[in-house]
Amino acid sequence: MIKITNLSYRYPDGTLALNSVNLDIKKGEFVVIAGKNGCGKSTLLRSINGLILPSEGSVAVNGMYTSDRSRVMDIRRMAGMIFQNPESQFIGMTVEEDVAFGPENLSLSTEEIHKLVEKSLRAVEMHEFRDHTPRILSGGQKQKIALASVLAMEPGIILLDEVTTMLDPDSRNEILSLVKRLHENGTTIVYVTHLLEELVHADRLVVMEEGRIMHDGDPRTILSQAKVTTFGFNLPPIIELSRKLRDSGIIDRTTFPLSKDELMEALCQLK
Amino acid sequence: MNDLFFSFIPGNSILHRLDPRTKIIGLMIVSICILQISSFSGMALVTLIFAAFVFACKLPLMHFVRSVRPMIIFFLLIFLMQLFFTEGTPLFSLSLVTVSYEGLILGTILTLRFVFLLIFAALLTATTSPSGITAGIERLLRHFPLRHAGISSHDIAMMMSLSIYFVPMLYDNFKNLRDAQFSRGLDIRKEPLKAILSLSVPLIGMSVRAVDDVAMAMESRCYQSTGRSSMHVLEFGRYDHLFILLYFFVVVLCLIF
Ligand SMILES: Nc1ncnc2c1ncn2[C@@H]1O[C@H](COP(=O)(O)OP(=O)(O)O)[C@@H](O)[C@H]1O
Ligand SMILES: [Mg+2]
Repeated sequence: MIKITNLSYRYPDGTLALNSVNLDIKKGEFVVIAGKNGCGKSTLLRSINGLILPSEGSVAVNGMYTSDRSRVMDIRRMAGMIFQNPESQFIGMTVEEDVAFGPENLSLSTEEIHKLVEKSLRAVEMHEFRDHTPRILSGGQKQKIALASVLAMEPGIILLDEVTTMLDPDSRNEILSLVKRLHENGTTIVYVTHLLEELVHADRLVVMEEGRIMHDGDPRTILSQAKVTTFGFNLPPIIELSRKLRDSGIIDRTTFPLSKDELMEALCQLK
Repeated sequence: MNDLFFSFIPGNSILHRLDPRTKIIGLMIVSICILQISSFSGMALVTLIFAAFVFACKLPLMHFVRSVRPMIIFFLLIFLMQLFFTEGTPLFSLSLVTVSYEGLILGTILTLRFVFLLIFAALLTATTSPSGITAGIERLLRHFPLRHAGISSHDIAMMMSLSIYFVPMLYDNFKNLRDAQFSRGLDIRKEPLKAILSLSVPLIGMSVRAVDDVAMAMESRCYQSTGRSSMHVLEFGRYDHLFILLYFFVVVLCLIF
């Protein structure tokens, strides 16, 4: 679905934000991209969305190259993107209008637009807020609307750029479970985060550092086996604890616990 | 939200049900009339019309007082300027300046004009959702040859709706920033220059970033300024036809007198 080949990107000021990135994402995958601040995660997502064009290499979404300007609208429709800051991705004056913004750009008929808006708002359980001005919503509610706005274009892929960073834990979990539900319904998810503990259960983990991909594969394998120094950021406490317990032979080597629940289970089985 | 002047008051009155285009044109006609009126009987008529609308739509009078209040100093200034600087029959004089009868009349009329312009505009915004107003303006602008100047009516409508969202957001940002700076001991009386700089520099930074972000979000959602459709359909109803007819009468009457 997404094919990134030898992608490098240099910002106009000379910063090399991506350095020969290769990534192949298949339909229906749930990919988490992690890495410390400034490692190029947002730049990567912007490249996939066609917001920026490769300095070198190529990005193709469903076989359409982002460098082909005639396909860029199709790419953005296929791969919807949600940004980090809930405050600055509102475009309409009411919730409903914001969700309608995408379909309006696609020149759909008024009836279709209303249908899509209704469906998308129901999907994020924000239907009763449709006449509200976005200004009075909480950060979590705003991110749900942002999600609905993207859903209204019926994308096959959703790109999320640290969407929960500015949220409280409850809203964070709510967004996460919405994203999981979308994935279960067949949407391909690319989820950028620097809070690794959020999504240790993804299909696939990609760890970036300084514009390069350091690791790419099964989260459990990467988190249990890779050298700590290759992550470029602190591992979540649970993972560190699991690694310590395993290294000192306290817990079993076969199933490496990734979450609090798994760790507790592993510890309970010790007796 | 309700404390904002010029805000929308949801409802189902005649004015609420009118097509935004009808109301925008109506406001333009009324404004031109108001600017022409120079007699107290004319002002009385305008007051009557305004009162009829407010009454018929069951709108709170307080809302309109609020819309005018921020401008009070400006009104006072206009009034006093006219009062002191109009030549004519002297009423009385204070050491340097003389207050004339003509000045009093002119000052009152001029102030009333501004007040009426504001409250009729508030009548439009109170009975039309912001999106209705932008949709209306966008549709009206389509009749002008803007395209030849390289401007699309969608761009203008977009700019309007973005500023309606942005201005309050920036104001919120400003308040947060001010509180943060003051709590760190910034004193606007002791160091006014430093205070202004430490408030405005971050605010400009924030605004630029917010604009960048929104532009990116718009682009990512396929924004194009031509060939967009709209979720709002504007349709003239029975009342719209009635009002348009009314406008004709008013215009004809104005032309005759
Ligand atoms: N608009 C920009 N102009 C110049 N450099 C930028 C810009 N945006 C990001 N960068 C730089 O590119 C690198 C990658 O940034 P980014 O993709 O935002 O990282 P991340 O999302 O992982 O925090 C950083 O060094 C950052 O400073
Ligand atoms: Mg980022």
